[in-house]
Amino acid sequence: MSRGAVIAGVGHSEFGRLPGLTPWQLETTAARAAVADAGLEPGDVDGLLTDPGPAQGILDGITPHFLRLGAQLGLDPDYAGSEILGGAGSVGIVGRAVLAVEAGLCSACLCVYGDSPLSQPAAFGYGRGDDAVFGFFGAVGMHALAARRHAHNYGTRPEQLGEVVLAARAHAALTPHALKRELLSMDDYLASKPVAEPLRALDCCMVSDGAAAVLVLSAERAARLERSTVRVLSQAQAHSLQTMGNGTHFDQLPAARSAPRLFERAGLEPSDVDLALLYDCFSIVLLMQLEDYGFCARGEAGSFVENGGIAPGGRLPVNTSGGLLAECYGGGMMHVIEAVRQLRGEAGERQVADASVALVSGHGLGMNTHTGLLLGADR
Amino acid sequence: MEEKAATKTAHPAPADDQLTASFWEACQHGSLMMTHCRDCGHYFLPPGPCCPRCWSSYIDQHAASGRGQVVTYTVYRHGYHPAIPPPYVVAVIELDEGPRMVSNVTGLDSDAVRTGMRVQLVFEQAGDRKIPRFEPTSGGTTGTSEASTGKKT
Ligand SMILES: [Zn+2]
Repeated sequence: MSRGAVIAGVGHSEFGRLPGLTPWQLETTAARAAVADAGLEPGDVDGLLTDPGPAQGILDGITPHFLRLGAQLGLDPDYAGSEILGGAGSVGIVGRAVLAVEAGLCSACLCVYGDSPLSQPAAFGYGRGDDAVFGFFGAVGMHALAARRHAHNYGTRPEQLGEVVLAARAHAALTPHALKRELLSMDDYLASKPVAEPLRALDCCMVSDGAAAVLVLSAERAARLERSTVRVLSQAQAHSLQTMGNGTHFDQLPAARSAPRLFERAGLEPSDVDLALLYDCFSIVLLMQLEDYGFCARGEAGSFVENGGIAPGGRLPVNTSGGLLAECYGGGMMHVIEAVRQLRGEAGERQVADASVALVSGHGLGMNTHTGLLLGADR
Repeated sequence: MEEKAATKTAHPAPADDQLTASFWEACQHGSLMMTHCRDCGHYFLPPGPCCPRCWSSYIDQHAASGRGQVVTYTVYRHGYHPAIPPPYVVAVIELDEGPRMVSNVTGLDSDAVRTGMRVQLVFEQAGDRKIPRFEPTSGGTTGTSEASTGKKT
């Protein structure tokens, strides 16, 4: 169990289509907010990790993202880097910050996600390697292959994918900053146009410009703060780098391997989790994770989400701020931030009663990467 | 997609990649070549410098039988490239020798494709390039076996 590091501050920019703002403006805004939220000053930060998001990566062919951002923030930190894990990156850098702080390499590590994919749309709709030859474009195609497999293996119906999208909207309706707050009916969902079957347009998350940041602090320094903090109970990763060479790649996520370790390291069971913030670039990924994390048996995620199972007041509230499907595209860092807000009891109308344990996951690239964190309230 | 404007409407070319150049060259001659490990017998795709199962670099190339089955598939209803109009089928094909690859299923209505369907290799011309695709095995019967999970040959 991790004892030496806590999450002490969170902050984010606005999200949406923001052509007038550079990623740097968004990221520095988020950084300032996270450090202020912890009650600290810029000079207190001695670590910087970044998740540059889908459109930035390596800038101008040579400059890594953390170098450019660190210069703008005036940092000469004791620890720094950028992580390229796709949508698993934000949870990944928070986990890496915890390791660095626990090891004593730094004591206040700022973790920043930021990107402007709407203002730099070339990064989307890609075909990786030779995939373009076959018209295998976009992350949607890869996830459609998994969704078809789930339907084939377990009889998962379109309406069950639809439940995931409806629940996201129901959570977003209670979240003032969410971008898609209108409730959806199942008829609305079923009328959504197919993109790569069985996935429809509404199964795909939105794309947004914006930035989000989290400050990981040593427990020693956190003890001197006024602010209540959130404990990092455990972390785990697993990856499926072979893609086609891994015979289970389309049947389960790497989370099936990391989830048991995540719970074991925290001394917890899935039934101890009060809410889950699951990476939801596509509805099918959320369904698969319910099985991979053991919230239900394999093949039963479809029935788990029926009748509002993951909606507000459901048996397991999932993505209580609306997630990538309805809150914004926050790279996964907004999932971390929502978990922190819930565990600090600051989630307003959408607050999960007595929330003390939250699961946060990240998932990325061609279903190749997975990262997870268990977070606990400080009480 | 960082293509120049003049090539925007041409069929997408394979990535310029030293590892896969030999695979695409063989396709031009009508062969689907798998890499074979002479130490452990494993067949794999795409080509690589060593066997991904035992890390031996004692490898050679074998032509695939071209027979296989559909592990999973999707019908694209949204177009992403002017040279590849929807609807079209992208599928994961498991060759009978073991390796899996992404390809297209052609020669039938998109809605008739099924998981587990038996298929065979065909080369189709797109611009100046031959592309390995798959069509239902003559007789058109759907395989009864589940596409395997975790099978290694
Ligand atoms: Zn071998």
